[in-house]
Amino acid sequence: MRIPAGVRRVFRLPSSRERIARDLDDEVRFHVEMRTNRLRNEGYSETEAQAEALRRFGDVEDLRDYCVSMEVAHMHRAHARERMESVAQDLRFALRQFRKSPGFAFIATLTLALGVGATTAIFSVVNGVVLQPLPFAQPEQLVQLWGIDAKGHHLSFADPTFDAVARDTRSFAALAEYARGELSLVESGEAERVNAAAVSSQFFRALRVTPLLGRFFVPEEQQLGAPMAVVISHALWVSRFGASPSAIGKTLVADRKPVTVVGVLREGQEFPAGTDVWYPREIFEKNTSYTAHNWRVIGRVKDGIPIEQARRDLSMTLQRLHASLGEATWTFDGTIVGLRDQIVGNIKPLLYLLLGASAVLLLIACANVANLLIARMAVRENEIAVRLAIGAGRARLAQQLLVEASLLSAVGCIGGLLLALAGMRVLLTLRPESIPRVGELRLDWPALAFAVLISAGTAIVLGLVASWRGARGDLRASLAQSQRTQGGGGASYRIRGSLVVVQLAMTVVLLIGAGLLARSFVRLMTIDTGFRTHGVVVAILSLGEGEGTTAEQVARRTQYTHEIVARARALPGVTAVGVSDAEPFSGGSSNGQFIELSGADVNRAPADLMKDLEMMMRDKAHAGYATYRLASGDYFRALRIPLLSGRLFDETDRAGAPEVALVNAALAKKQWPGESPLGKVLEFGNIDGDLTPMTVVGVVGDTREEELAADPQPAIYVCDRQRPGNSPDVNVVIATSGSTPVTAPAFRAFRQVRADVPVRFTTVDDIIARSVASQRFMLLLVGVFGGVALLLATLGVYSVISYLVAQRGREISIRVALGAHASDIVRLVVRQGVALALIGAAVGAVAAFASTRVLRSLLYSVSTTDPLAFAGVLVMLCVVALAASYLPARRASRLEPMDVLRGG
Amino acid sequence: MPRDASDLLHGTLDVLVLKTLSWDAKHGYAIAEWIEKRGGGELVIVDAALYKALHRLEDAGSIESEWGVSENNRRAKYYSLTARGRAQLRAEAATWKRYAHAVHRILETA
Repeated sequence: MRIPAGVRRVFRLPSSRERIARDLDDEVRFHVEMRTNRLRNEGYSETEAQAEALRRFGDVEDLRDYCVSMEVAHMHRAHARERMESVAQDLRFALRQFRKSPGFAFIATLTLALGVGATTAIFSVVNGVVLQPLPFAQPEQLVQLWGIDAKGHHLSFADPTFDAVARDTRSFAALAEYARGELSLVESGEAERVNAAAVSSQFFRALRVTPLLGRFFVPEEQQLGAPMAVVISHALWVSRFGASPSAIGKTLVADRKPVTVVGVLREGQEFPAGTDVWYPREIFEKNTSYTAHNWRVIGRVKDGIPIEQARRDLSMTLQRLHASLGEATWTFDGTIVGLRDQIVGNIKPLLYLLLGASAVLLLIACANVANLLIARMAVRENEIAVRLAIGAGRARLAQQLLVEASLLSAVGCIGGLLLALAGMRVLLTLRPESIPRVGELRLDWPALAFAVLISAGTAIVLGLVASWRGARGDLRASLAQSQRTQGGGGASYRIRGSLVVVQLAMTVVLLIGAGLLARSFVRLMTIDTGFRTHGVVVAILSLGEGEGTTAEQVARRTQYTHEIVARARALPGVTAVGVSDAEPFSGGSSNGQFIELSGADVNRAPADLMKDLEMMMRDKAHAGYATYRLASGDYFRALRIPLLSGRLFDETDRAGAPEVALVNAALAKKQWPGESPLGKVLEFGNIDGDLTPMTVVGVVGDTREEELAADPQPAIYVCDRQRPGNSPDVNVVIATSGSTPVTAPAFRAFRQVRADVPVRFTTVDDIIARSVASQRFMLLLVGVFGGVALLLATLGVYSVISYLVAQRGREISIRVALGAHASDIVRLVVRQGVALALIGAAVGAVAAFASTRVLRSLLYSVSTTDPLAFAGVLVMLCVVALAASYLPARRASRLEPMDVLRGG
Repeated sequence: MPRDASDLLHGTLDVLVLKTLSWDAKHGYAIAEWIEKRGGGELVIVDAALYKALHRLEDAGSIESEWGVSENNRRAKYYSLTARGRAQLRAEAATWKRYAHAVHRILETA
């Protein structure tokens, strides 16, 4: 038999310092007396013998100190060992308990795992996206520069504006302009589109990156007309060159021109995100216009210069520039934004919202487990009362409960991490491009630490709740009560009831949030875009830059497009094939100012004409702003954009014929209210560089572009056969009858025309779905959280009502014995559940009323206090609570009174 | 097995105490007398050091103690060997013998 450590210690060791010292003194006195006797027997005198014995003994003080310190250390070790042993004992006990009720252990750990998993997954996204600094040296110095127009909107930079900023500001160590685009990389006949960025000379210096391999650009490569040198991304290096160092100096074919690879960038440092190829901006001519806002600009603020000072510097510079140029520039002012804020600014509130939602879920999970623990405490009240009676300290009891809770939390934490891992994988496959920096995400140490921390917090809270409930046990009351009932008293029900109410209230908040997002999403998805969205396939053919500059190239491009359209039209199931220079729903390929040329003599010499045009541009009545899109007549038929008046483009509108344009209803209404736009002559050279005037021949219906929630913008359509266009892509819009898959045969047919042109297929539905990706992402997550919360709350209601039924079994039996019907009993029990649900719903509704405000920016034409969402959720909650309490109620109504009364 | 001098002295006293207790339980004074007698008066031990060793060995679990009555009817603390102490004695005695033998051989041949 094992003797408890405490007992061993009490019997073996003196319990205090004084006792140790006293024992030692006894021992020493005995020794010295024995020696004195012996010496006296050898002939020493009494005093001599005593003195000699003491001398022979040595330093008694030193010995005493030595022994006391050793004993004290010993006792500390014994205490620690005892504590460890008691924890181990509690662990064994807890494991035994959980083995005895595996259902409880499973539900409790799964519940905790759900809470911890959801919170950890969202936290790792928040941490990776928002909290971690950008992967560049001194990332806080990196900023995005913006111009500001007359209305206070951010503006990109025009070449001369950027040059002026680079010349006149003093706060930046490096400034660089860059523009994103695409290149077609061709290798052994197979073409691939990659994201490319044209970057000015100080770009890599501003980021303060070093190449993984090779070098960045040298001045000879940054000259007008120089052969293109490129720096490639780590990903492209791996996929194209198998991560071979011999990639440096190799030649690729990009947009049908040979380009030389000079360097490889390190993984994770791609900027702008997703770029695969960087090339010097200087090899192309600069645009001298102050209103060609084609460039984004990043800068690195000089060491020791505050961001605010840099902002003032930029602002003053641009204000001075505007003062000297006047109307020639639209850039009135400027500002800077930290690069990280620029990248993650939009997603930040979304992510914090999700973190909040997951935290609420964790709280609900905790409430559920606390509820379960208390239910078990009530069942174990007798055991605990007995343990208290035989002398178990309350602290010792609390320790045991804490160990139980910790064990649950530890398993829950591990389960939660696994769930988080799986959850993050799902999260990332959902819609990666709607979250920036998604490539940097992983379940890393901070996330792990976070999971452990919240699990530990959960364990402490649960342990405290349970021991507060358990260790306050009143022995007599409990033992006496156990004669009457099968569990604890009414206090326990009250606590559990309030926990369920809190749970229900939090569930209501989550569900109302999800409901509002769902309502908004449905509103968005049922918006009339003004064109057909189902069954329309878009093929994007990347001809590349420079295919529309010479007459010969234009002819070739037109011929190619013609051929492609003919092939597409011949495919089975295809009803119409249109062409544009931009995807549907993309907002057109360009936008800018047009001039109405009524009165201007378009046959005058170009120099004089320019003067006229400049004058007219300032005249609001004769100038306007519109988006611009190249389209064929069938573009409108394929997308079923209605013709409101006039005609669409037709066969007569060919190169050389008088140039024509279509406008949409929004432009017609804005520019010529109450007047027909047909026959008006427009000039659009400011946008596509072609000064040839166009005559408006038709008005088409409005379409929503880019964002479903945005109102239709004024738009001009020009004929694809008449304007060369400057888009590197041909977008073929293929309307189908919907029954035959068209992508694969179209791909084969297009390859036969030209194999070296990369083709990408998408559908209009997909394009629109992409535009609402972040809304869908939010809805999905909040919806899942709300669903899980509802499940947990249902479990909570069920368990607390079951408990009530068990507790009041005797009373119910008496009622039945006295003649109550089964329906009376059901009503009696269900009423309790519904009462909980009503209180929870009321509290939750108030909380939701106060908190759904945070969703405002995410909602489209749904109020944050939308009555339908509120009412729907509250009704749903009550129905679910009703169902959850009906099961135990039915059980109660079937109790056999005599069994209960005899058995009790 | 190489040992330094201070270690040797501690170890020596410990192993002698263990040896002393190998037959029966003894109180501190009896142990001191036994060692002096067996050592032929060559080994004179400071008593305080002996008691330090006793308490050290007890703390390590090699010996245990119990209050008893001495041959002259006095209250005295008796020490006896535990199983662990017995094992320790065997190991240390063997080591010590090897060590002494090695020192002896060096001194003889040099």
